[in-house]
Amino acid sequence: MSRFVVQAEPSAIAIDTARTALVVIDMQRDFLEKGGFGEALGNDVSLLSSAIPPCAAMLEVARAAHMLVVHTREGHRPDLADAPRAKIERGFPSMRIGAMGPMGRILVRGEPGHDIVADLYPRPGEPVIDKPGKGAFYATDLHLILQTAGIENLVVCGVTTEVCVHTTVREANDRGYRCVVPSDCCASYFPEFHEVALRMIKAQGGIFGWVSSSTRILDAFR
Amino acid sequence: MGHIAAVPYPWPFDGDLRRENTALVVIDMQTDFCGKGGYIDLLGYDISLTRACIEPIQRVLAAFRTKRFPVFHTREGHRRDLSDLPDNKRWRSRRTPSGVGIGDQGPCGRVLVRGEPGWAIIPELAPIDGEPIIDKPGKGSFCATDFELQLRLRNVRNLVLVGITTDVCVHTTMREANDRGFECIVLRDCCAATDRGNHEAALKMVTMQQGVFGAVGDSRTLIEAVATGPRPS
Repeated sequence: MSRFVVQAEPSAIAIDTARTALVVIDMQRDFLEKGGFGEALGNDVSLLSSAIPPCAAMLEVARAAHMLVVHTREGHRPDLADAPRAKIERGFPSMRIGAMGPMGRILVRGEPGHDIVADLYPRPGEPVIDKPGKGAFYATDLHLILQTAGIENLVVCGVTTEVCVHTTVREANDRGYRCVVPSDCCASYFPEFHEVALRMIKAQGGIFGWVSSSTRILDAFR
Repeated sequence: MGHIAAVPYPWPFDGDLRRENTALVVIDMQTDFCGKGGYIDLLGYDISLTRACIEPIQRVLAAFRTKRFPVFHTREGHRRDLSDLPDNKRWRSRRTPSGVGIGDQGPCGRVLVRGEPGWAIIPELAPIDGEPIIDKPGKGSFCATDFELQLRLRNVRNLVLVGITTDVCVHTTMREANDRGFECIVLRDCCAATDRGNHEAALKMVTMQQGVFGAVGDSRTLIEAVATGPRPS
């Protein structure tokens, strides 16, 4: 077990690697790659793909430190039995969950677009959490896996900052995990939401957790 | 459709029994629990006890499928890397004469590991298309799964519970469901335990305090209700 002090706002935080997991949220092809569903919706995917190199650096350091690494993917069962109507009915019919998109059926498990981008691909022994919602704890076994591994702290990376990262950080905070969010390892299609979402995490003495950066975390581990 | 005869009260409590709100839940009818060479067999228990409910469940399943009531199946099992297997569960599972526990190689593959032959649902009760399968790491079907989400999305309120074992996974699922407001009935002849006394005691517990966890019924009464509709109450 190694203990590191990571510089962060609103304060520095000491973390034990044996009690800390790296959680990489929804770095899926459909959200990040040119020619995917995200771009088809009119989004500038380069805003999200900028988070890939810092996430790769975090993966490297976490793997070297033998930390638990967990990946999440948002998506639904092929029969959509876990997809709420309110979620399906959002958006244009041709762009809805389950419809055929540029990389297979949109947000459906097993489709090419649902998979994780090559640069951040999970390794054997790194649990992948398939989640039907924004939060990684809802209707999944994430909490069980973290508890089984004795995890107390999470370093949360991924996309998008204000949607799935934020919901997951809030869920984790209510369940007693300390969350550190490296700002450059997260991204949003809306830069202003990214900024304000990070501010919300560290407001009021860190109401949801700590905000740091990949370089400050790498410095701490060196 | 109205109520059906059950103990200790006619079920469901409000007589609102319809295809739209009532699902069959077939719990853990896996080789590891009722098949030759499975985990329970390996532990030295008499699997004729857990196999006795296969035929009655087949009849209930056929009735539900014919009338297009929703059907769910559950499987207990763990991720191949065992990241969802608590230490105390593994430790306990290995305290057997053979020393083979969850995750270890047994006669039907790695015990209670997803994808292994022993973990599969027995062919007699194999799920068909459109019947969701819930992979659960624990005894209860609601813990660390999307089961509740799926039930809510289909507007299911009543659960008909069958499967194995009565005192462990069926009971935990029934308790979880009851706390969440689902109206449950467990079918006496469609569930079983590794110990007959535990089976009987578990059913009796359901009926205490005016049905503290729900009601106990039998396959014949339920099949009749599903097939023809019960008498109006």
